[in-house]
Amino acid sequence: MKYGFVIDNRKCIGCHACTVACKTENQVPVGVNRTWVKYVEKGLFPNTRRVFQVTRCNHCEKPPCVTICPVTAMYQRKDGIVDFNSERCIGCKACMQACPYDSIYMDPDDGTAAKCHFCAHRTEVGLEPACVIVCPEHAIIAGDLSDPSSEAAQLIAREPVRVRKPEQGTQPKLYYIDADESAIVPTAARHESIYMWSQRNPAVHGGGAIYPLDSPFLQKDAVAAYDVSHARPWGWQVPAYCWTKSIGSGALAIPAIAMAFGKLSGDRVRDITLATVALLFTALTTVLLVWDLDHKERFLRVVFMPQSKSWLARGAFILIGYSGLCGVFWLAAVMGFSVATSILLWPTVLVGFCAASYTAFLFGQCEGRDLWQTPLLPAHLIIQALLCGSAVLALLPRALGGSAQALSVAIPALLITLGLHLLMLLGEVAVPHTTDNARYGARLMTHGPFARAFWGGAVGAGGMIPLLLLLCGPLLFAEPNRMVTGFASALVLAGLLIFEWCFVMAGQSVPNS
Amino acid sequence: MTDFKREGSHLSSYPPVEKWDDWEENDPEAWPRRVKKHYNLIPTICFNCESACGLLAYVNKETGRIDKFEGNPKHPASRGRLCAKGPATITQIHDPDRILYPMKRSGPRGGGKWTRTSWEEVLETFGTRIRKAFQENRGEEVMYHVGRPGHDFIMERTLQAWGIDGHNSHTNVCSSSARLGYLLWHYADRPSPDHANARFILLLSAHLESGHYFNPHAQRIIEGKMAGAKLAVMDPRLSNTASMADYWMPSYPGTEAAVLLAMAMVILAEDRFDAVFVKNWTNWEELEVDGFSARGQSFEALIEALKRHYSKYTPEFAEKESGVKAETIVKTAREIATAGSRFASHLWRGSSSGNLGGWQTARALILLHVLTGSVGTPGGHNLNAWNKFVPRPYKNPPPQKRWNELLYPPEWPLCTHEMSPLLPHFLKEGRGRIEAYFTRVFNPVWTYPDGFSWIEMLRDEEKVGLHAALTPTWSETAWFADYVLPMGFSSERHDLMSQESYAGKWIGFRQPVLRVLQEREGKKFDYTYQANPGEVWEEDEFWINLSWAIDPDGSMGIRQWFESPYRSGQKLTVDEYYGWIFENSVPGLPEAAAKEGLKPLAYMRKYGAYEVTTDVHRLNEKPVAPADLAGSQVEANGVVEKAGKAVGVMVEGKAVVGYNTPSRKLELFSKTMADWKWPEFALPEYYRSHIHRSAQAASVGNLADKSGADFDPQYMPLVEWPKDAKGEVYTLLPIFRLPHLIHTRSGNSKFLYEIAHKNPLWLNPTDAKKIGNIHTGDLLKVHTEIGFFVLHAWVTEGLAPGVVACSHHMGRWRTNKEDQIERMSSAWVDLKEVGKGQWKMRQTSGVEPYETSDPDTKRVWWSDAGVHQNLTFPVHPDPITGMHCWHQMVRVERAAADDRYGDIFVDTNLSFAVYQRWKALTRSAPGPGGLRRPLWIPRVHRPEEAAFFMSVEKP
Repeated sequence: MKYGFVIDNRKCIGCHACTVACKTENQVPVGVNRTWVKYVEKGLFPNTRRVFQVTRCNHCEKPPCVTICPVTAMYQRKDGIVDFNSERCIGCKACMQACPYDSIYMDPDDGTAAKCHFCAHRTEVGLEPACVIVCPEHAIIAGDLSDPSSEAAQLIAREPVRVRKPEQGTQPKLYYIDADESAIVPTAARHESIYMWSQRNPAVHGGGAIYPLDSPFLQKDAVAAYDVSHARPWGWQVPAYCWTKSIGSGALAIPAIAMAFGKLSGDRVRDITLATVALLFTALTTVLLVWDLDHKERFLRVVFMPQSKSWLARGAFILIGYSGLCGVFWLAAVMGFSVATSILLWPTVLVGFCAASYTAFLFGQCEGRDLWQTPLLPAHLIIQALLCGSAVLALLPRALGGSAQALSVAIPALLITLGLHLLMLLGEVAVPHTTDNARYGARLMTHGPFARAFWGGAVGAGGMIPLLLLLCGPLLFAEPNRMVTGFASALVLAGLLIFEWCFVMAGQSVPNS
Repeated sequence: MTDFKREGSHLSSYPPVEKWDDWEENDPEAWPRRVKKHYNLIPTICFNCESACGLLAYVNKETGRIDKFEGNPKHPASRGRLCAKGPATITQIHDPDRILYPMKRSGPRGGGKWTRTSWEEVLETFGTRIRKAFQENRGEEVMYHVGRPGHDFIMERTLQAWGIDGHNSHTNVCSSSARLGYLLWHYADRPSPDHANARFILLLSAHLESGHYFNPHAQRIIEGKMAGAKLAVMDPRLSNTASMADYWMPSYPGTEAAVLLAMAMVILAEDRFDAVFVKNWTNWEELEVDGFSARGQSFEALIEALKRHYSKYTPEFAEKESGVKAETIVKTAREIATAGSRFASHLWRGSSSGNLGGWQTARALILLHVLTGSVGTPGGHNLNAWNKFVPRPYKNPPPQKRWNELLYPPEWPLCTHEMSPLLPHFLKEGRGRIEAYFTRVFNPVWTYPDGFSWIEMLRDEEKVGLHAALTPTWSETAWFADYVLPMGFSSERHDLMSQESYAGKWIGFRQPVLRVLQEREGKKFDYTYQANPGEVWEEDEFWINLSWAIDPDGSMGIRQWFESPYRSGQKLTVDEYYGWIFENSVPGLPEAAAKEGLKPLAYMRKYGAYEVTTDVHRLNEKPVAPADLAGSQVEANGVVEKAGKAVGVMVEGKAVVGYNTPSRKLELFSKTMADWKWPEFALPEYYRSHIHRSAQAASVGNLADKSGADFDPQYMPLVEWPKDAKGEVYTLLPIFRLPHLIHTRSGNSKFLYEIAHKNPLWLNPTDAKKIGNIHTGDLLKVHTEIGFFVLHAWVTEGLAPGVVACSHHMGRWRTNKEDQIERMSSAWVDLKEVGKGQWKMRQTSGVEPYETSDPDTKRVWWSDAGVHQNLTFPVHPDPITGMHCWHQMVRVERAAADDRYGDIFVDTNLSFAVYQRWKALTRSAPGPGGLRRPLWIPRVHRPEEAAFFMSVEKP
């Protein structure tokens, strides 16, 4: 058994019966949709057409929402239906980021993920889904694609069909007959401030996808006449989490490297301070992660009932491991067991690198956010951690281990890691992206609503200015100046936070449907 | 076991009938935990539009509440499938703001103060007032005014039982123009296209998204299309329907008849017509045109005369008028001719209802069917009467003796229906008053043009003595009632339905689901409101009980019509009324029921629908019944008459029933039009609409437009703009409907309003530029003849240049913050009468989330409820059909700094003046023999024949 849909656009009249029948069958609240009919008007008068596209979960053969889910709330049934269990869901919204089709929403009542589930509760008693039976035109055909005699399988065999975004490799099991380029490509149609008979929903979290009117991805004379808005799943907590994690995971790294090269001598106070920073910021990271959950009380399920392929679950274990090592290191430093600290330092730093970089793999599972899928990301995250480590070192007061020697290590470290970070950062926007989704996201960052924050904040104030300050410092002052380096370090940290925000928000602002 | 499985599916579409009494399903909310829910499945009929699609109510056995509605697979027209409005019914019956109890006004009318009252008090109050009016011979002062029909059974007999001419309807703002065009041809005033079997389908309507009968027709149009039929749509606006077409013909509004006649000309000129059909089945021998008289002439000579007469309608002429390319006209005309008897079409509102002279579009359209011989054929144009089944009740009161001139005034002798949009003006002119006014699911303040004139009428207790709004929802009109009487939705009432939805005849039974279910389980109710939510009642029982309240002892002769056919002298029950019909008047139903061991009523309660026959084509060719033939004679024109009444016509030597026209044939030549002072329109013709470019030019002082076309004051009223009206002149199309809304009745459905809640002004980019670099979302001010409204722009390539359009549904308003109209679909407005007849409306706030027992009302995310354009329209009664000609000539400009979204201004003094200008174009009764209207054409709620004559003397 392999359930799938065929949607026959030769017959679909855009009546929205499926939308409403789905809502009344599944008690879907106002403001969210399991299925909807997108309208695109295209062409110039009188050669104009309005195309309709019933849009919903594709019940992918390789569903990324299932892979990313940390607690098996999203799962694939043996009959091919991708179903969900709201009682397991912790509300992390990672599935929404993983879905390349905008098919998942957070239920406002339950705070858990939901989507079309092929009316599995009906198919199990032998009934077709609600949208299928209501359709006046029998334009929605549900069936067993593995049975060649089924109507659905026969249509797929006989008619030219198309799926949404095949390049994502998800192998959708919803096939469109007579799909139209202007509707099936999410970035193709111009979205005006209103639709032909409705407003755009500004109330969705984050305001929904962003549709610049000058987008180069627009097709000529294609206007979205009706569509629904989708929440931008992750709030400010996620960029903040990236940032605190970079600080927490990179805090011990620069002294470790400098000591290995013999450029820095051991310092118990510094060890205690930096281990404290690492612990505090890692704890803060966890707090932010939990904060962004819609079911905070279910957080521990990530640990106690993890889905092992999810980088969200894996990341949780890495963070626990890192916190443990930092804790022991801190204890050893406080107790003055210098042998123990020297043995523990490098394992802690290396696990810190894992903690810094695992997010790249989590973002890699976010198949709906191609901007985040850059191959540079693991390296970039480690550089960010080192950059934070340098800045923290530079900011250390004398009393807390910020010796002159430490400062003289911190400055070149800052210069090198900042340079690398800026290169990476420019690389991420300048490298040729493989998908429109990534290009669109990059353009939102560099030309769109995030451009000011990106260029002014992340690149200018957080990159070029501290770089100049650090380079010019020696010209103005004989000795390394704590004021200048401190100011530059603060700018670097602030710029990094702005960058995380731009990166996370721009990635989520790309339309997927 | 009934098995609702499609071919190629192992899943069923619906539970088998055998399990409808105890159906087990998984609770979707608990899923994936397998929590079982148990249901009773009871069929009923949707209440939203007039299509009467079958619903299946899922009654939760644990809670006794209806949980959802699906389609009824046993319904032959809708076949289990629905549009969005079907499943949305659940949101309407569970709307937390709905009216649950009868309410009585406690402050001044329109003041918004209400107290709960009892049904007993309502019946007592109305019974007494109406009895007094009848006793004082003031029968005309009692009026029933229906918005949503489909409750005709007991209602129409009620008025005749009361002996009054008191039936008013909404038809003159809806469809009466098309009806005249159709009925002049073949008496039946509505089409019933057999889309499923057609080879070519021409729609001058949007039946893939709206209209009668959207869902059943849309199913069959696409079925026909998938089987190879070509689809052409003539509409200035890219409707969803036009979008599905092989040919979109964006004709300039009001020029459709020119295009159709040009097609006819192509078919005639190229000799592609069905000569045998035209010869046998039209009254061509009566034709008189351009000095040619067909009497005694050969058929060939007639064709030559027709070719000569119609030669003015060249494709090039039609292109100049309409903008539709001449080559498209020729191409589609040839395809129509090729389709021959399998050419189907539909025209209902749109062109006909929008334009002065819109009835000619139907006239011209049927000419195409006559030429192709596609009348009464499989895949062709059929008559509504052939596809609709109206069973006879147990006894009917005699027709009333009265004629109410508030309904059928002498100026419009050919109006097919009541001149209801003019009611406020008639009362203003002193033509009468109303003592008891029942509005039934009717919201003229909002839906009709010139709503402020309605408010002025309704608030005047001299003009309207007592007003009851029978309605399931609050409305702008109910607000000005004395009583608001909650009547049930689809699952809360009885109605017997039949519509011409396909090539077949069926009946459907709407029923109060909770009462039916509980009575099945042995509980007894006296009244449906005891089983419904709150005290929501149904009209059937209301009229029976009101009639008893008017005539409690039977002395007025009214009560007898509301007594049981089974229990002498006892009050009629709804079960008895419909039970009798099902037992006696529906051929085949008693037998079908007996096969299942059921009484006919029980059968209908179980299945909700019954298909009477599918033998429905070419009924005109049925031989005259032997009983009618005996003692008949054949007149010179071939009509078979018996006792002065036509019973058939001779065709090819056989006596057949023919059509119900005077000639018993399709009337190519309408002697009626000639006799009733419009000889120039005896043949299908094209003449210019009130919004024609020449009229637009004339409105700004140029009596000839750019093309040199002259403004013709004989047919068109001259538009006089209010002095502050500025901007480019356009034609506004204000009546297009959306697939998921229904007038103002869907304002209580959260899921429908979530999809659509805004009605921006559509305009073509060339016009957006012309008005001044207008972009989508910019604010525009639209001036009409009597005021203005302010709304946003939607710039689109889906509309012909020179035309602007605004959807019909949106723009609900309330003057109270908390109540009056559902808060999810209305703006809160400040309404002021700033001078006599000068009304100003400004939105205080749009839609906002609000707290109710339904958490969804807190999640209402839209803030826009649209702008109420109809308020700013004057009445436009077509001089012939009386139809309100909806299209508006408007001037559009960019809104000024002090204009705000939703602003409306209207001067009702101007609207009265426009009414006078239009009235001046009529050609009044009496007609031949002193008649008020032709005897042969249909009239709803028809009085006895004597009432048709204006003078008291018989002719």
